Amino acid sequence: MTLFEVRDLRAGYGKVDVLFGVSLTASKGELIGIVGPNGAGKSTLFGAIVGTVGLRGGSVFLDGEDISGKRPEDIVRRGLSLVPEGRQIFSGLSVIENLTLGLTGRRDKHGEKGALERVHDLFPVLTTHRDHQAGMLSGGQQQQLAIARALVADPRVLLLDEPSLGLSPTVVKDVFDRLIAIAESGTAVVIVEQRAHLVTRLAERTHVLRAGKLQATLTKEDAADEAKLTAAYFGNSGE
Amino acid sequence: MIQAILDAVSLGGVYALAALGLGLVFGVMRLVNFAHAELITVASYTLVMTHQFPLVVSIVLSVVVASLMALLMELLAYRRLRGSNPATMLIVSFGVSVLLQKIYELVFGALPRSASVATGLTGAFTVGGVSITTASVVTIVLAVVILLAMGYLIERTKLGLQLRAAASDFQTARLLGVRSNRLIASAFVISGALAAVVAFVNVVGNPQVDPRFGLDITILALVGIVVGGMNSLRGSALGGFIVGAVLSLLNVILGNGRVYAYSWMFVIVIVILLVRPGGILSKFATKERV
Repeated sequence: MTLFEVRDLRAGYGKVDVLFGVSLTASKGELIGIVGPNGAGKSTLFGAIVGTVGLRGGSVFLDGEDISGKRPEDIVRRGLSLVPEGRQIFSGLSVIENLTLGLTGRRDKHGEKGALERVHDLFPVLTTHRDHQAGMLSGGQQQQLAIARALVADPRVLLLDEPSLGLSPTVVKDVFDRLIAIAESGTAVVIVEQRAHLVTRLAERTHVLRAGKLQATLTKEDAADEAKLTAAYFGNSGE
Repeated sequence: MIQAILDAVSLGGVYALAALGLGLVFGVMRLVNFAHAELITVASYTLVMTHQFPLVVSIVLSVVVASLMALLMELLAYRRLRGSNPATMLIVSFGVSVLLQKIYELVFGALPRSASVATGLTGAFTVGGVSITTASVVTIVLAVVILLAMGYLIERTKLGLQLRAAASDFQTARLLGVRSNRLIASAFVISGALAAVVAFVNVVGNPQVDPRFGLDITILALVGIVVGGMNSLRGSALGGFIVGAVLSLLNVILGNGRVYAYSWMFVIVIVILLVRPGGILSKFATKERV
């Protein structure tokens, strides 16, 4: 059953249109990928979904409720969290303060302690560095903190914008392993990645976004075919 | 000499409170609220107009009036400008400031209104042969208590955490669920309450309130937040304190030359900013523009 649906979404900045009718869905526990080259509109898509970029048309549904055009702080309370590109942790605050801020978006205030315990289990390094300044963590640890901060809000849908950015291959594998675990726990996970191969191996479906439109949707098997993936990513010529 | 130091600490404390009020609003909105002066003025008028009431009632009323006016400023003037560039917001804050001054002039007249407020604080007492004014001691105690309370609010409460996060990156804070309207309104209300405290200690020392009563202290508090570091609430308070204390000491040190106290203070400010262009507590280096 569809938990999250983006229907014919259009968005842009000023006089420039960036998205031209994007539609996609995700069900509970599904891991969905969105790949595409620089400037394809990937971050704009997430911005439009979470309310930081103005919509020009279309709708976003979460569990049947139309959340399009709502304010970011209201959307997170409905169960949709974003881990933004570049992590955007509060580097001057401690790890626990960053996590405490993440609790702000919870609907169920009684479960705060349990939520913190769960992310500490998933990311033990955050327990070790609990009182350290977040800006002093390594890139991989900061990414874990950014994901944990979104998770403590207990999202039904978790969006991640370029989670591999600036991370070494070993750390990327570690982060993506955690994302699989998060999806397996029932959260719908939608990952935007410029490095397509990172997400196509894991995602049930990978949408290819180019020039503001979804150009193709690949299954895991499709994406394993390098030629097919390249053609979808760059267009028919594969150049 | 002891009285001079007490006066310096006392004036520094007052400017620290004024700078903190400005710094709170700047932190969440990147708005240099020039109209903070009119919050101090309206709180001062409230104290003067209600001087016949018990002092506590008068103080509470001034806090309520200044906080409400701050909230109205946010709702009516600044809310629609949140996405605007800082220069636009600064110009609007000038407009709000001038408009309110004219309204005060219409309501209270252009000439100063005066009344004795907290007459018990206007005396002096002697310690070890040194005469000390009650007002300076009360001001120091009040400033310390309020600054400690603000420190607790900012460092130890959820509201304070949200204020610090929003000052760093408001958009990310909103993505985590921080309610922007509520948080900005809270910052304005606290700023108004701090303006009322500043008004109280000023009115005790100088109960001649005119429509521009809060202007000088606000300009110097603005200098203070630049000196301390605009991105840091601690920096704002520290900068405000330094400006107030230095000004007070210069008035004593310069003796008959005290007319130049402002000039010398700005020389000191320029030297500080040449050494620390981002302010004393700023963690960020300035960007090269030219």
